[in-house]
Amino acid sequence: MSHKPDDDYDYLFKVVLIGDSGVGKSNLLSRFTRNEFSLESKSTIGVEFATRSIQVDGKTIKAQIWDTAGQERYRAITSAYYRGAVGALLVYDITKSVTFENVERWLKELRDHADSNIVIMLVGNKSDLKHLRDVQTEVAQAFCEREGLSFIETSALESTNVEKAFQQILTEIYHIVSKKVLDSEDNRPKPGEGRDVIVIDNQHDDGARKKGGCCS
Amino acid sequence: MSSDERGPSRLQNLFKSGGRAFSLRVHRKPGEDNGPGTAQPGELLSPASGSVAGRISEEATDPGSFDGPANSASSMAPPRSGAAAAGPAAAAFPDDVDPGGSGGGGSASATTTGGGGGSGGGGAPAAGGAGAGPGLAAGVGGAGGGLMAQAPIPEHRVRKFHKLLEAPVVDLDALRELSWSGVPLALRPQVWRLLCGYLPLARTRQASTLARRRREYADMVPEYYAIPDSERSEDEQAAFRQVGVDVPRTAPGVPFFHTDIVQRSLHRLLYIWGIRHPASGYVQGMNDLVTPFLAVFLSEHLPGPMEGWAAAAVTEPIMLAVEADCYWCLCKLIEGIQDHYTYAQPGIQRAVFRIKELVRRCEADVSDHLESEAVDFIQFALRWVNCLLVRELPFALAIRLWDTYLAEGTGFSEFLVYISAAFLLSWRDRLTRLEFQELLLFLQRLPTADWTEAQLERVLSEAFILRSSYSDAQSHLRLG
Repeated sequence: MSHKPDDDYDYLFKVVLIGDSGVGKSNLLSRFTRNEFSLESKSTIGVEFATRSIQVDGKTIKAQIWDTAGQERYRAITSAYYRGAVGALLVYDITKSVTFENVERWLKELRDHADSNIVIMLVGNKSDLKHLRDVQTEVAQAFCEREGLSFIETSALESTNVEKAFQQILTEIYHIVSKKVLDSEDNRPKPGEGRDVIVIDNQHDDGARKKGGCCS
Repeated sequence: MSSDERGPSRLQNLFKSGGRAFSLRVHRKPGEDNGPGTAQPGELLSPASGSVAGRISEEATDPGSFDGPANSASSMAPPRSGAAAAGPAAAAFPDDVDPGGSGGGGSASATTTGGGGGSGGGGAPAAGGAGAGPGLAAGVGGAGGGLMAQAPIPEHRVRKFHKLLEAPVVDLDALRELSWSGVPLALRPQVWRLLCGYLPLARTRQASTLARRRREYADMVPEYYAIPDSERSEDEQAAFRQVGVDVPRTAPGVPFFHTDIVQRSLHRLLYIWGIRHPASGYVQGMNDLVTPFLAVFLSEHLPGPMEGWAAAAVTEPIMLAVEADCYWCLCKLIEGIQDHYTYAQPGIQRAVFRIKELVRRCEADVSDHLESEAVDFIQFALRWVNCLLVRELPFALAIRLWDTYLAEGTGFSEFLVYISAAFLLSWRDRLTRLEFQELLLFLQRLPTADWTEAQLERVLSEAFILRSSYSDAQSHLRLG
């Protein structure tokens, strides 16, 4: 298998984007991975995939991000992608309180289907629509403190805090992983899972494509 | 076609099909055998499509609707000769495309597209399936011309359409066979209504049925839609919101769909559909499935290319009639694929599995490579099946694809498996060179923007050949 320079990374983290329909998950992803935003994007059917690498503490972290459909009907299929994810951006729309109210249900989804050590960040998107705000920052913040989640407000449209959100969650994951806090057993690849897997140590790498030696 | 011929062929087909969705048809009402061709062909008698009982009775009394035999009828020949037939014509008249074409309010009386007239000479219909393809790729105006553009259709084919449509009782099997390879733009509204089983085959009954069905739909609007939120259940309110989130994101590349009147119409239609089909409810992507119907039924009322349509020309009564047609045809389209949209989407999972199996059987290299790269078919083909490939093609080609789906009838979801495999394999060389990440990114956004009808028709032809090779083998095994 050939190696490409941009495929060199120290860590590969799988992250999922979840939350209600229309909150801006796909635009957060396209802003982060391609610096693109579209008011006319179509709904996501099933899952969509993108990647980007960033630097944390001199290490190259490759984020493999799975964007999921927001509608409940797709959850049976999309929840399979939670497996092996080490991070989740749970997105709501600050102008629609119902999308914030549903956050509890999404957390339950993660509890049911994701690794128990998954790092979760709550993201209040569309912060540019100040005049339409329906969810107060303090309320979301208090909720996150209770639940032990990180929290950030973003605007994919104005590109506010998008970079920071991803940087922050990936850094948090990195710190946990580099301290080996995660129970590597839970993240061991299962048959058929292929690359949908965090690279915790060398044995778990899915092929010879990574330059070795992480978590040492 | 007499009822005596219909009955047995239906039964035979039932056996051949291995009991697919239309096996419900055995539950026909007594007396239904007495002349289904004329009694009330193509009518949806029970509007109660929300209940299973309603659907069965709809089907049972609905001899003209999506029709088992179409599967075998269409597999007699059309794709190999017909599908290619549009190709040479396109090659011969690359610029002669009339993207609007549909001329005013006339439906069945309208003639072919502007370009179709003299183009018959280019279209030797027997020019041999895939062989017609390669020469066409160089920018020949299939989709390139506009949102609803269509390559000219040979005049002799257009004449056949007229002849069929003008008969006192439309020969549905013949219409299916002819439509499989593409329906002339101007005739699409009428042909699609017939293929969907929405319009009766007997001409004398068509106008009254259409009026009645449109009235029935109009009556649903105050019943289900135009009510205060307080009268909706929590689930209904959630559905209302979900549709509201998706309607503005429907076919962003088609500006006319984003006019206020069309947006309101789409919202009504999709919400009402969901309420009346509680087994699945509205599911994201169904909005995409309406778009071909919407464009085609609007084209009856708006002259010229879609790009030049004026929203002001669409009055509320016109919109409501178009909406009603879209609604009933969407019902018929989804009728056979309800389990694509129920909990856990078993129909889609099954279809994706079959696509994978088919690819494995006919191009093991490709499937081995995908597997070794840990790319799972569900990761890309879920959307293909969910949206019936609408999302993967330019809009004009989605409309063309609808010709074939509707011609296939109930069997179209079966054929979708073959189309999807052929579609995937049209990139076989590229696929085997890519690694996991590139593969997924490529498959998520296949470069079809420049595709012409000729390319789509090549896929359809290959799908047809795949079906001939593999479905026969399978049914042989089943029967054996």
